[in-house]
Amino acid sequence: MLKIENLHAEIDGKTILKGLNLSVNAGEVHAIMGPNGAGKSTLGYVLGGRPGYEVTEGSITFDGQDLLELEPHQRAAAGVFLGFQYPVEIPGVSNVQFLREALNAQRGGRGEKPLSGGEFLKLAREEAKKLDMDAEMLKRPVNVGFSGGEKKRNEMVQMGVIDPKFAILDETDSGLDIDALRIVGDGINRIMRKPDKAVLLITHYQRLLDYVKPDFVHVLADGRITRSGGAELAHQLEREGYAEVAA
Amino acid sequence: MSDAVLDLPSTREEAWRWADLGGLAAAAALAPVAEPTHEFLDLPGARLLFVDGVLDEGRSRLCNVRLTTLEGDDHALGRRAAGTGWSLRLDAQGVADPVQIVHVATGGENHLASEIVLADDAVAEVVETFVGAGWQNCFTRTRLGKGARLMRSVRLLQPAGFVSLREAAEIGEAASLVAVFLGAGGQGSRIDAQLVMAGEGAFVEYGGTLLTSAEQKQECAVRVNHAQPNGASRQVWRAVASDRSQVSLAAAVDVARHAQKTDGEQSLRGLLLHRTATVNLKPELEIFADDVKCAHGATVGELDNRALFYMQSRGIPKARAQAILTRAFVADALERIGDETVRAAFEADADAWLDAALQ
Repeated sequence: MLKIENLHAEIDGKTILKGLNLSVNAGEVHAIMGPNGAGKSTLGYVLGGRPGYEVTEGSITFDGQDLLELEPHQRAAAGVFLGFQYPVEIPGVSNVQFLREALNAQRGGRGEKPLSGGEFLKLAREEAKKLDMDAEMLKRPVNVGFSGGEKKRNEMVQMGVIDPKFAILDETDSGLDIDALRIVGDGINRIMRKPDKAVLLITHYQRLLDYVKPDFVHVLADGRITRSGGAELAHQLEREGYAEVAA
Repeated sequence: MSDAVLDLPSTREEAWRWADLGGLAAAAALAPVAEPTHEFLDLPGARLLFVDGVLDEGRSRLCNVRLTTLEGDDHALGRRAAGTGWSLRLDAQGVADPVQIVHVATGGENHLASEIVLADDAVAEVVETFVGAGWQNCFTRTRLGKGARLMRSVRLLQPAGFVSLREAAEIGEAASLVAVFLGAGGQGSRIDAQLVMAGEGAFVEYGGTLLTSAEQKQECAVRVNHAQPNGASRQVWRAVASDRSQVSLAAAVDVARHAQKTDGEQSLRGLLLHRTATVNLKPELEIFADDVKCAHGATVGELDNRALFYMQSRGIPKARAQAILTRAFVADALERIGDETVRAAFEADADAWLDAALQ
């Protein structure tokens, strides 16, 4: 599904990714772990197409197409979802408006009919309920006044409504208490654990991986993947630390 | 150049520092245009169509509005509007259907006076629309008696030329004036208002949104004078400037020595769609009373890039995301329009402007 080869990327002239290789197949969950500053979030933003993150070398192919050629909204329509570490607050734009615009823009991009207001609301309310989010919050401006945990839950509601093919979840576990972690973990499994989908979990800690079992774990250090293994690698990292394992 | 333009103040005077005085003369000198079509909104009540400052009686229905001879005021713009104008006067507890006024200009300059006089507890709504070309100058004198309520909505939709509005209002005890302006045409503009909170507990909301593109200049210069205690005034202005255009917002609040418990708020915010555009903001407070609450905020910025990327990452194309964010930015300046039909029309005008500017 996703193939990253020899990826080099820089921000403001500073090279962050230095030859990263990664292949993700349909049906797989990959976890990327690594110390602060290793380039984990940069990888997420490069996949999402954030302006300012410049790819200087290498390639990213998604479902056979060159992902780097696509604008961020086209990547979304192609099935890529980026869950933000710090979801952005948008005053004056309600969750309902935001998400309906997003979903219908994506559907339009794929040549599908837009959902009516009623159809959309039903879908959004169901998703909010499954993630234990008060449906009233859908009416509020996007993430404005939400707690850290509510913002992350809102990301999952968006993911559930949009129903992407491939999700990059950047530290979706940070800011969550234990109950919320379980709800979000269940959400990821429910929405994304399917034979035709894949997930890239970017995380510092093992704890989310207790709920969303990865098929592969990679250690990202200094801009490249220094080690890969199965779920047991995450436990080893938790026990021994990045310095030991990544070296 | 028109003689009338020559005796306008100089931009060396503080109240006129950002005024586009050359724009007035240039607008008056523009080539005449055919009369543009304009539809009234689907509302009951009076409909007045002025063409180049003259009432077209055949296409108007006056209801409780009448034409009369009106004075100007001592202001450079208000002075020249003296002459035949329209008048809405309501007796105590009178309630009028909405009054719609469309000002159509085909070129040159025209000057029109008007008055809105509401006796105690009367309620009125006035919607004005400016279309066409040339320089249109209107002077409106408003007097609100005890407990009277007036909702005014004014939109400037001329593709070119200039609209200047001189407003003088006296708001009586516990009376309420809510005025919302939208500058969404291609014309230059100056909204020049002097509002006096003449009775205790008077309430004013006065604001709107000015949208500019190309080389356009629009401005407001509003002064609220709290002459009596317990008054509340709110000035909420939003400016969106693209290309090399300029919006200037000057909002002043004066609080007299005995006008205790005054609650004044000024919220002036500008959004630059291009770095070549200019937004000038000048909140001004002069307070002589010692027990007042006066909040003022003034910010100019660009669209939040993080929000833009967040929206794009969810599938919303960039231009659409910009339009949604810009629309959200101006929304709070338009949401005070009480009448749904009017609000929807103003929002549609703002949307049309945004869609064109963000293409």
